[in-house]
Amino acid sequence: MENHKNHHNDDQHETHHIASYKEHFSTLAALLLLTFVTVVVSVFGANLATLSVATALLIATIKVIVVAYYFMHLKYEKKIYSWLILLVVVLFVAFTVITAIEYLNR
Amino acid sequence: MATATANINFFQARKGLFSWIFSVDHKRIGLLYLYSLMTFFLVGVTLGLLMRYELLNPGKDLVEAQTYNQIFTLHGVIMIFLFIIPSIPAVFGNFFLPIMLGTDDVSFPRLNLLSWWIYIIGAIMALSTLVFGDGPADTGWTFYAPYSVNTTTNVSMSVLAAFVLGFSSILTGLNFIVTIHRLRTPGMTFLKMPLFAWSLYATSWIQLLATPIIGITLLMIVAERALGVGLFDPSIGGDPILYQHLFWIYSHPAVYIMALPAFGVISELLPTFSQRTIFGYKAIAFSSLAIAFVGYFIWGHHMFTSGMSGTARIIFSILTFFVAIPTAIKVFNWVATLYKGSINVQPPLLYALAFIFQFMIGGFTGLILGALATDIHLHDTYFVVGHFHYVMFGGTGFAFFGALHYWYPKIWGRMYNVKVANIAFTIFFIGFNMLYFPMLIAGLMGMPRRYYDYLPEFHLPNMISTYGSWVLAVGLLLMLGNLIAGFYKGKRGVGRNPWGGITLEWQTLSPPPVQNFDRMPEIPKNGPYDYENKPIIKE
Amino acid sequence: MEHATGFILPNSGHNRDAEASKMGMWLFLFTELLLFGGLFIVYMVYRLMNHDAFLLSSFELNVVMGTVNTIVLLVSSMTIAMSITAIQKGNSILSIKLLATTLILSLVFMIIKYFEWSSKIHHGLFPGMEYYGNLPKGEALFFFLYFFMTGLHALHIIIGAVLIAVVIYRTKKGEVHSENYTLTENAGLYWHLVDLIWIYLFPLFYLIH
Repeated sequence: MENHKNHHNDDQHETHHIASYKEHFSTLAALLLLTFVTVVVSVFGANLATLSVATALLIATIKVIVVAYYFMHLKYEKKIYSWLILLVVVLFVAFTVITAIEYLNR
Repeated sequence: MATATANINFFQARKGLFSWIFSVDHKRIGLLYLYSLMTFFLVGVTLGLLMRYELLNPGKDLVEAQTYNQIFTLHGVIMIFLFIIPSIPAVFGNFFLPIMLGTDDVSFPRLNLLSWWIYIIGAIMALSTLVFGDGPADTGWTFYAPYSVNTTTNVSMSVLAAFVLGFSSILTGLNFIVTIHRLRTPGMTFLKMPLFAWSLYATSWIQLLATPIIGITLLMIVAERALGVGLFDPSIGGDPILYQHLFWIYSHPAVYIMALPAFGVISELLPTFSQRTIFGYKAIAFSSLAIAFVGYFIWGHHMFTSGMSGTARIIFSILTFFVAIPTAIKVFNWVATLYKGSINVQPPLLYALAFIFQFMIGGFTGLILGALATDIHLHDTYFVVGHFHYVMFGGTGFAFFGALHYWYPKIWGRMYNVKVANIAFTIFFIGFNMLYFPMLIAGLMGMPRRYYDYLPEFHLPNMISTYGSWVLAVGLLLMLGNLIAGFYKGKRGVGRNPWGGITLEWQTLSPPPVQNFDRMPEIPKNGPYDYENKPIIKE
Repeated sequence: MEHATGFILPNSGHNRDAEASKMGMWLFLFTELLLFGGLFIVYMVYRLMNHDAFLLSSFELNVVMGTVNTIVLLVSSMTIAMSITAIQKGNSILSIKLLATTLILSLVFMIIKYFEWSSKIHHGLFPGMEYYGNLPKGEALFFFLYFFMTGLHALHIIIGAVLIAVVIYRTKKGEVHSENYTLTENAGLYWHLVDLIWIYLFPLFYLIH
């Protein structure tokens, strides 16, 4: 059955992009920088308690997007993956927002 | 393996028990699910009959209050997690999805087998509470905290069983999504898939994205019981309403895991027996997705009396009404399909019509419960019990048996006795409505659910209901007996297409060959409901 | 898959389909995200209810160890991403080396985690211990969530490490190569998910004071 090459495999090999080592390295550098920023904001910006949480979550989200886009190859994948991830994120955010509304209005 | 297996059907391919329980053939796995599901269903039915018997007269008839609590919990756990959540997708989805897509199996055949094994392990765990520990849980199938944290019965094992069964459900959903994306035969676009495949697609997304939440919640219950932390127990710092939130974030979408595949089955049955194409294909297809999506945001309507904030209750109540829109779209399209069709009355059609009738009662009572004000009155009464049995059993259960009668000749290549099937249906239908309609009335009168006893004023509806349960049992036994008899003695040689079905599965042999097709599947130009339409069995 | 009747079903479930495997992996990652998502909702609710206790408890955690572990995971994410590049370019040996580096980094992570946990347990902060039982309710919830969430995360690290070991083994045997590297890609996706979850766990537990 191996010699019957599936047409999916063929088009996958045509479009598959190989990310360079250099790109991975730059991605890591950006992620480390963001980690540095978030730690500094937290440790030295302690008087701005809520702001520091918002900043920390914002930076974490940027880091997650960077990891997904470069390391997880979303940049080179079919668009459908990005849409599906967006769907999952929307669902999860909706769960948290609705739950938060419930608790904040007690 | 390519040659010499010409058109040997999947029953003949290999023999013996091991060729079944380790089979990666989607058709065999579908049947494994069917046999195991029906076994657990009968256990659940027996427990239900015991409950009804206890409620025949006020006071104690049969069992103690504590035993009654355990019986209704086990009835719920078995019927929800072992029967109705897997039911249509695991049996008919497994069997027919690849055939309807024009391929020979699901994307991950071995994963598919693994799902069945996980299901069996979960089932054994759930039933083991009958024997081990301090008896089955007595919390109700919802395992509400803090009682589930404090009770001495074997909640931990029941909860772990539900966790394991959730895994099985996730893997089946994952498999179906990838299969639908990757294995449609060339030329079959998404909008040329049969509606059953569409409903499975929507269902699979719910299975995939909602089940993990209950998985982790149930693990937290186990951790709380084991370590004594106050996660959901208010006396040690937790919030029991948070448990209800997490539980219903899964369990409300799970209602659509149970209902959507049934909608898909009905969308297949009606065109075949109206002998015309489906009306409003796109509307039905997209309304499945709409139901799946809206269904995620309305979990709070199970918690109107829990003490959550008024703002949230209003939001949930409004959102709940939105789900009625796509559901009504489906019903209108089904009725429009029947309109001016050449109706061929056969057992599967009877089940489909009963489905529409009963599901509408279930749906309308659902609107009553979704409205904030009426729900306060009716919450935790028998009205709720009647409502969800109309949706789950009157809806999904009837669709399941309709599907079984519809695809029976395709699966086994034999035909059951149609006349007996019609009689069995009639008894079943009467019994069902006798059993559950009085519950709606008892609920309106104010009878609370989950009690093993009641005041004398509720005697009449309870009596009718219990008698109805016996009628239902007779109808069920006759129906299953007829199907089993057909399995051994039914007429052979039903041909490819005994009903004049107009979708792809009727173009292949009955039973299907190992590779599903004996000739290249062709996709009609005008959508999936466009194959030649010649009924062979007619009155 | 060929049939005796002489036709071939083009899209067979028994064909090797790299795209399907990858899609399956992504879908599995979605379920993992929502598994942790449920815990994040619990965290959010209890933080809203016990704001001060959560801030106070987070002082107990060691920011230095947390930061080092974050860096370890980020570097390991890069090495596994590079190992995919290496196998795509046909350089199996480099790919194995990079995977082995990832494996070692996962070990480093677990060792640091071990020291962190054991110091907390030493102070009696583990759920069920006597000192824990006397904590104020908010702090008790914080430490329960800390152990439950980082514990579940550590379990995922272990699973990921086993998966990477399998990839190394199969690359060595030559079953994974420049024409068939789905396994490496999927192990990479899984490992990145473990990283993603840590990216949120780190600020939510260590940096909220």
